[in-house]
Amino acid sequence: MKNRDDRVPLDARGASRRRFLRGAAAAGASALAAGPASALSFDLEAFFQKHFREMSQEDIEALQTRLERKYESRYGKPFNVASTGPIDGVVYGYGLDIGRCIGCRRCVYACVEENNQSRDPEIHWIRVLEFEREHALRGIDLEEGNPYYDHEKVPAEGKFYVPIACQMCEDSPCTDVCPTGATWEEPDGIVVIDYDWCIGCRYCIASCPYGARHFNWGEPQIPADEVNPDTHVLGNRPRPRGVVEKCTFCIQRVRNGRYPACVEACPVGARKFGNLLDPNSEIRYLLANKRTFVLKAELRTQPKFFYFYG
Amino acid sequence: METEAPREPHDDGARIRTTTWFVLGIAAMAVLGLFSVRCELGPNVAREYPSRTLPPEPQPVLMSAPPPDEDYYPCSDCHELEDRNPQPRELEDEHDDLELAHGDLWCLSCHDLADSDSLKLSDETLVGFDESWRLCTQCHGNKLAEWRAGVHGKRTGYWWGPKEYRTCIVCHNPHSPAWKPIEPLPPPRPPQQIAGRVRAEPSEVRHEEP
Amino acid sequence: MSPLVQFWRFVKGSLAVVTQGSRGYFAWVVLLLAVIAVGVWAYANQIQYGLITTNMRDQLSWGFYIGNFAFLVGIAAAAVVVVIPAYVYRWGPIREVVLLGELVAVAAIIMCILFVTVDVGRPERIWHMMPLLGAPNFPHSLLVWDILVLTSYFVINYFIVTYLVYMAYRGRKYNAAFILPIIFLSIPLAISIHTVTAFLFMGLKARPFWNSALLAPRFLASAFCSGPALLVIVFQILRRVRPIEISDAALRKLGELLAYTMAANLFFLGCEVFREFYSASAHVIHAEFQWWGLEEGHGIAGYTWFALVSQVIAFVIFVVPELRNRLPILSVGCVLAFAGVYIEKGLGLLLPGMTPDVIGEVYHYNPSLNEILIGAGVWGVGALLFTLMAKVSSAISTGEFRYQPIEGSYGRW
Repeated sequence: MKNRDDRVPLDARGASRRRFLRGAAAAGASALAAGPASALSFDLEAFFQKHFREMSQEDIEALQTRLERKYESRYGKPFNVASTGPIDGVVYGYGLDIGRCIGCRRCVYACVEENNQSRDPEIHWIRVLEFEREHALRGIDLEEGNPYYDHEKVPAEGKFYVPIACQMCEDSPCTDVCPTGATWEEPDGIVVIDYDWCIGCRYCIASCPYGARHFNWGEPQIPADEVNPDTHVLGNRPRPRGVVEKCTFCIQRVRNGRYPACVEACPVGARKFGNLLDPNSEIRYLLANKRTFVLKAELRTQPKFFYFYG
Repeated sequence: METEAPREPHDDGARIRTTTWFVLGIAAMAVLGLFSVRCELGPNVAREYPSRTLPPEPQPVLMSAPPPDEDYYPCSDCHELEDRNPQPRELEDEHDDLELAHGDLWCLSCHDLADSDSLKLSDETLVGFDESWRLCTQCHGNKLAEWRAGVHGKRTGYWWGPKEYRTCIVCHNPHSPAWKPIEPLPPPRPPQQIAGRVRAEPSEVRHEEP
Repeated sequence: MSPLVQFWRFVKGSLAVVTQGSRGYFAWVVLLLAVIAVGVWAYANQIQYGLITTNMRDQLSWGFYIGNFAFLVGIAAAAVVVVIPAYVYRWGPIREVVLLGELVAVAAIIMCILFVTVDVGRPERIWHMMPLLGAPNFPHSLLVWDILVLTSYFVINYFIVTYLVYMAYRGRKYNAAFILPIIFLSIPLAISIHTVTAFLFMGLKARPFWNSALLAPRFLASAFCSGPALLVIVFQILRRVRPIEISDAALRKLGELLAYTMAANLFFLGCEVFREFYSASAHVIHAEFQWWGLEEGHGIAGYTWFALVSQVIAFVIFVVPELRNRLPILSVGCVLAFAGVYIEKGLGLLLPGMTPDVIGEVYHYNPSLNEILIGAGVWGVGALLFTLMAKVSSAISTGEFRYQPIEGSYGRW
């Protein structure tokens, strides 16, 4: 990782490195492919796979190659499964301007496409709740939100909107309750899931105060022409059935310096993203200058997802 | 503790009892120990990653304003100096499709009477249509500060790296700047309707290579 | 003969015992096997298509399986109710039923483990939470604690039962100095399996309905209602079909005990209801769903009231000596108590805790047919296990099945 060119954007560096590694690893893997193990429908290699956090660099590269080959044969196009690590001195924070959100759900579907969510059974990582403005006099009571509104045009008269996805809690109940340690908080604050280690007990869903976690009840279906081949091991790679998934702040994008897909999709610019440790970032500006709040603050989950207005 | 006959001097029972408790204690500790083997892998421990640092941030890229409407621009094609009427009025012959809903503003609040291809700041400085944001921010100064900080308006690209900003009129129609309602994308399916393809083969939609 | 060879003869003999029996016995076993077969078919269905075959969804991610699990942990824990008076206080009449009580407990834990297994999305990865093999999130995850105490409780009870039965088979007296410490250990473990299971729910700050300090005491109180109630019924059936000795006095003693535990259970329920409805914070919505239903329809309110009424009637039966001392009436009380607790602590606990969900959505859940069939299969496994174990142990206590120093062969030499 030395001698890199600091002038190129973050993702260009990551991609070139991966391309090199992938070429080398694929050469090794193709030699093994002819063996008798490939005839087994039950994937022993996957069955005995180690916990992501205990893998060596070689293990991870082998995993990436295996996944890429699997997805390439399933979807018929080249895949990139990255394992880009966190960046020193970066903790991600998210801001959402509820004064601006119009409830158009552009973010919901941008997220579905970017993050390869199952189309059927349908999974949406973002849920947009609609509230009566009059009721806001009593504060936002999440129990009165309606995710199923269907108007001709939004924003509808007298309503306001609160989109909810993973709040990236600093003290996250979901990672505490997971019996296998298959979900944890990364150094940059992203709560991730090892889809190959999750046993699907759904204790984390029971423990999440924000309904952010979603289970693959059936075999996830993604049309091959819509699948996003630019993926991350801990993020948007296609998931197996029977495991839990959730928003990762688009880990495959943000660790390369890019904005999450929902930020880019929002037509009104209500979604803000940046480095909480950088005093000049947009997220720090709004924390310092706007009226911000977090959902269910009384639970002390300490979200890194801030709602603001004014 | 036991129902049996009076204890004898060499009580076998006591010895067995002690041994049993001892073995149970060891077993309990062994079980707890086994479960604790990986306890350093707590919920907030990540793996060891190679160190990555941020490069210096490249300059933002300003997304230019959309070019003026060719049906009307350049304005001077029609607006000849002689027949200019500065009086605020209902527009009837031309620009009657224009929705003017921007406070009490009238055309000449922003457009220059003499040089119709320019905009006029409050200090009478003329600026081109491509610098309209300078005009807007005369009144909306607080928005300028927020826009500079990245909090007002939309940014795309890189949170750390080249990012695209948008000037005011990319999103706001200067004649009617309030946001117009748009059609929402479809609502999520309620849980009752999420049945998946229970009867379909899991591999059905997989793309098989020829 | 080495002890191992002798034990092997015991195992072979047990197999012989369970393959012989009356026509009624075989009809019962075949019925259970049929139920299990249907359950296995339903589970194969679930394995093939995923948990989409259930009616659980993201809005309500635990349902019928976990409800049954919570209830059965209580049945397993209730073995302690018969252990305490029998061994600690050496109270005579109840002692002969302890063994059968522990058999119920063993069968119940097996069912608990099966219910958790059918609930997970990736059962082939269960080893991920085993020590050494996987990476259990210990001590953070209460689910790991639950696995720990359930397994320990199972091992200890299974050992006690096997030891006592085997000793009876050999015609020897058990070594009290050896087995009593183990029995004593099973008492706190019985409390702990149920407490930890309650903590599993109580610890979730996202679910205010469960996030109540009273949940663990309520779990214990209701377990000590449903467990002994089940035993009273099972014992009466057993002594009718098998020539084993279970005294009326023992059953009446259990009935008396039920009066206390049902009083505690109803008192705790009253405390919860008072807190919810008097303070009426935003969280009362879960209790409103439980008792009245939300939006259109009454949801589960009918079941809630049925559970309350049956438990109150059961309490009256248990508390009036003239009623509980008549065994048919006691049996009615026991059936009502069992049904009431099954509803209240099964889905009656699960559904209000998760309805409305954390962001306010109301999903009216009913278990799917496939879910119910799998559940029936698990109950079938438990009933079959208990039947077979009870068959062996009763054959020993009646003297039909007993260690013989190989008459004939030994005699010849």
